[in-house]
Amino acid sequence: MNLLSRLQPSPKLKRLLPGLDVLAILLWGALLFKYWISGQLRLLIHPNYFWLVFVTSILLVLLGAVKAWLWGQEFQKKSNREENVQHITLFPPGWGSGLLIITAVAGFIIPPTVFNSQVALQRGISESLPVTQAQTESFSANVKPEERSLIDWIRTLNAYPEPDAYQGQKAKVTGFVVHSPILPENYILLSRFILTCCAVDAYPVGLPVKLNRDRSAYPADSWLEVEGEMMTETLPIDTQTMQETPTEKRQLVLSANSITTIPTPDDPYGY
Amino acid sequence: MTQLHNAFTLFLSLLVEAFPFLLLGVSLSSALLIFIDERKLIAILPKNPLLGAVAGSCIGFLFPVCECGNVPVARRLLMQGMPNSAAIGFLLAAPTINPIVIWSTWVAFRDQPEIVVFRVVFSLIIAITIGWIFSVQKDPRPMLQPLLAQRVAMISRRPRFSRYSGQAETETDSMLLQSGTFLLGTAGTPLKMEEMSAGGISLSSKQSGEFTRRLGLFVENVSQELRELGGMLILGSAIAACLQVFVPREIILNLGQSTISSIIAMMLLAAIVSICSTVDSFFALSFASTFTTSSLLAFLVFGPMIDIKAIGLMLSIFKPRMILYLFALAAQLTFILVLCHSYFF
Repeated sequence: MNLLSRLQPSPKLKRLLPGLDVLAILLWGALLFKYWISGQLRLLIHPNYFWLVFVTSILLVLLGAVKAWLWGQEFQKKSNREENVQHITLFPPGWGSGLLIITAVAGFIIPPTVFNSQVALQRGISESLPVTQAQTESFSANVKPEERSLIDWIRTLNAYPEPDAYQGQKAKVTGFVVHSPILPENYILLSRFILTCCAVDAYPVGLPVKLNRDRSAYPADSWLEVEGEMMTETLPIDTQTMQETPTEKRQLVLSANSITTIPTPDDPYGY
Repeated sequence: MTQLHNAFTLFLSLLVEAFPFLLLGVSLSSALLIFIDERKLIAILPKNPLLGAVAGSCIGFLFPVCECGNVPVARRLLMQGMPNSAAIGFLLAAPTINPIVIWSTWVAFRDQPEIVVFRVVFSLIIAITIGWIFSVQKDPRPMLQPLLAQRVAMISRRPRFSRYSGQAETETDSMLLQSGTFLLGTAGTPLKMEEMSAGGISLSSKQSGEFTRRLGLFVENVSQELRELGGMLILGSAIAACLQVFVPREIILNLGQSTISSIIAMMLLAAIVSICSTVDSFFALSFASTFTTSSLLAFLVFGPMIDIKAIGLMLSIFKPRMILYLFALAAQLTFILVLCHSYFF
């Protein structure tokens, strides 16, 4: 009995437990709202679900407000409220809301990170593309090659995977640097992540860029804007799968003319 | 350190993505509690175990929630005395057999409509079979968490629909004549422990009709389930995020070469990634080029039923051993059905 009573929170603490719930709900509402308003949401989920997070944040704040109001009324009345809504649950009292509060506070303190080349290499970078569009995108020939983004290039290459067709076309693309161990020392992979639903399935795609010097000048993870011309090279890898192949294959590579380092964009992912 | 930061981002991403669906499910389950009499719903369910499992699986169509949302609803239905077969059928089928998921799968695999059909059919077959198997166990209590079991035990003792008979409920009987554990309430009246357990709100006749009272109950219940299931979701997402970051994905992907190993690999991936069923078809789509259609199906059928995050949530209903049984059965049935698919289609 002693043990049992020790496990139960004291009556005073018990009256404060609903306050913990209110805090947890309000904090989560605020956190989701903060992600939405600060644009950090785009590091976490696909834009299609932004409105869902926004609505949820509003609902949570409303829920927290109603709960706080009810709790306040209870406090005023000082009534012996009916205990039929008191639950004995899986977690000891206060734990569930405690976890929620800790996570929300951590979410406020630690901003979501932009995935780096390490993640890209781990996930297996490639030139093939997840189909993220519900409808076929029109990439007709009237889009100038130099206006294509990195992802547009990958998309085009997926639709028509013949490297020679693009030879000589001008390109201007941005992405981050990945040093692939299977590419020669004067090559980098200019990469981007594509989100299909949330950061959990961020999918790296990349285009080999041929440099006129050693790649050590461009450290991994730095963001570059590369202007150059498309050309074909025979490389011992298959860029569709980024696996090493025993026979050298013709691949589309971007031969860089000018490379400028740019800051990490606010919108680093493609969709 | 960067790895840890990446894991944290993945963890947040899972939570941010799942939270709206969790709130949707919890609100729905609370609305069900306050505004709909689920006992009525349960009463019209067929008594035959097989038909019960079929009906339970199909109820999923009424609830457009994914696996974060169906657990609270299933828990509520079980507490209201839904038969095992129907409840388990519902639990396994609801994340797939609902309009939103069917729609999103169709959007993703517009050019392969057979995937949508097979996903629905296979999920139904598995849910009904497992529901049927567990109908052999008439008494649900040994499978459930002790506190939930107490609650179910109390329901089964209570005469059905006492709320409509106009008579006061069992509380008015002399406490001395009842068995069970009692706590001394604040007003000096004994409270039955089971009455208080695991979300044990029940509407007695004196409460019905009062809107604010109902609103209060609704808010109370939403926040209670949000607190508890949110805690579980946090633990599950943390594990899923860690596995994603610290286990190289290639280990799984390299398995995807042959028919059998690719199916197993995709099932493993489904369990590890713990992605919500409303959006998992888009995720599966990203493997469409490297994996066989059958293994994609394995991902789409198995993922919504069992994954690490859902196991966290299910622990709020079932004992760990029961979850192990569910896991093993679902995995085997998925494997067999998908293997048949790969040979015949």
